[in-house]
Amino acid sequence: MNQTASTPNDREVENALYQKRKKIYPREVHGLFAPRCVLGVFVLLGLYYVIPWVSYEGHQAVLFDLPARKFHIFGLVFWPQDFFYLAMLLVIAALSLFFFTALAGRLWCGYACPQTVWTEAFLWMERKIEGDRPRQMKLDKAPMSLRKFRIKATKHAVWLAFAGWTGFTFVGFFTPIRELGVSLANLSLGPWETFWIIFYSFATYGNAGWLREQVCIYMCPYARFQSAMFDKDTLIISYDEARGEPRGSRKRSDDRAEKGLGDCIDCTLCVQVCPTGIDIRNGLQYQCIGCAACIDACNDVMDKMDYPRGLIRYTTQNRLEGKPVHVLRPRTLVYGLILLALLGGLVYAIATRVPVDLNIHP
Amino acid sequence: MSSEIPRIQRVISILWPSFLTSGLATILFFTLFDPVHLLAGTALAELSRLGAYSIGFFCFWGLTILTSGLTCYFSQPCDDNRRRTRGRQDDSLGSAL
Repeated sequence: MNQTASTPNDREVENALYQKRKKIYPREVHGLFAPRCVLGVFVLLGLYYVIPWVSYEGHQAVLFDLPARKFHIFGLVFWPQDFFYLAMLLVIAALSLFFFTALAGRLWCGYACPQTVWTEAFLWMERKIEGDRPRQMKLDKAPMSLRKFRIKATKHAVWLAFAGWTGFTFVGFFTPIRELGVSLANLSLGPWETFWIIFYSFATYGNAGWLREQVCIYMCPYARFQSAMFDKDTLIISYDEARGEPRGSRKRSDDRAEKGLGDCIDCTLCVQVCPTGIDIRNGLQYQCIGCAACIDACNDVMDKMDYPRGLIRYTTQNRLEGKPVHVLRPRTLVYGLILLALLGGLVYAIATRVPVDLNIHP
Repeated sequence: MSSEIPRIQRVISILWPSFLTSGLATILFFTLFDPVHLLAGTALAELSRLGAYSIGFFCFWGLTILTSGLTCYFSQPCDDNRRRTRGRQDDSLGSAL
């Protein structure tokens, strides 16, 4: 797969030899989809870190106040007897996942899943501190030295600080964050708040810093069953085998028809940018989180070769086979209708809910 | 078969499903029962709600870890010979048996 790698520069050939290594070093990617992913990271992380600090009518706007057993969401207050609404919300969330998966594949994984979003943030920090992919690999191969220790220590310190802030924010959703901040500054945090801040910080550090794609592969139940929601009209990221094969290296000036080659120059950049380390050219795999990094990487190469873009692209199985594509089909219609009905039901139920249900204990 | 599964997957398959279900159990249990009422008059009456939720969660997690662990343990083959050969030889023999 990698032995004949031929790329715009020699460094990539050298990198291709490391593909079999266990640790995955996703190469930074630029293009059409990468900015959308960055936008997703900014919006979602921004919401996460900012929301607990937003006030509404003199109290924290979103507060799942566990110690007081009531949830505040702006003007609404939910008590334990309102558990029904939470259950309904979870059903709606699950159905939305089904609906969007049937329609557009793993949109959730590639752009919105907290695991992806935090991993992107951690990868960005790693790149800023350790350098790009070849530098990271070189650093890891080098024997321990003062310089290596300094770089690694800086990375982990920055990761831990970010994870600590994440843990603090997380607990701030469940106990008033301003009071929590004051307690932290006075070093008078309660034992359980302290415990959960540390617990969540280490979970973030471990998942986004160390486990990364292994969370998707081994821990995510959705990754295992999402294929059940796929059909031949689901949007997937796919390599156009008919156009790409037979793959092979060539000079930019070579006539590919003359050499009997397809459009794939076998540069393995699509593999190098993949956060889960798969080769999209082997077909749809359950490790693919649909992040579109390989599309950006390949389009870039196609531009350099003066070939048309889209050797790897968002498409559907039907379109690849030259058949018509159906966006509206029984599966999406049924999911969509149930989803609408449940959403309507939830809004109606909350709007007409009797706000007071008193339990008086002597 | 089991030798093909990476260690991390085996560890995760015990710790992670139990974590998820114990989270669910904690939510359901403490939605129904307020720990302040449950613990009133006991030695733990001074425990804060957050403390009770946390201890409750870890009790549930401990139990569910035990369940997941036992499931994995019992899903190993019972035949001693088969288990021993699997330890020494590669997977092709295991699937041939």
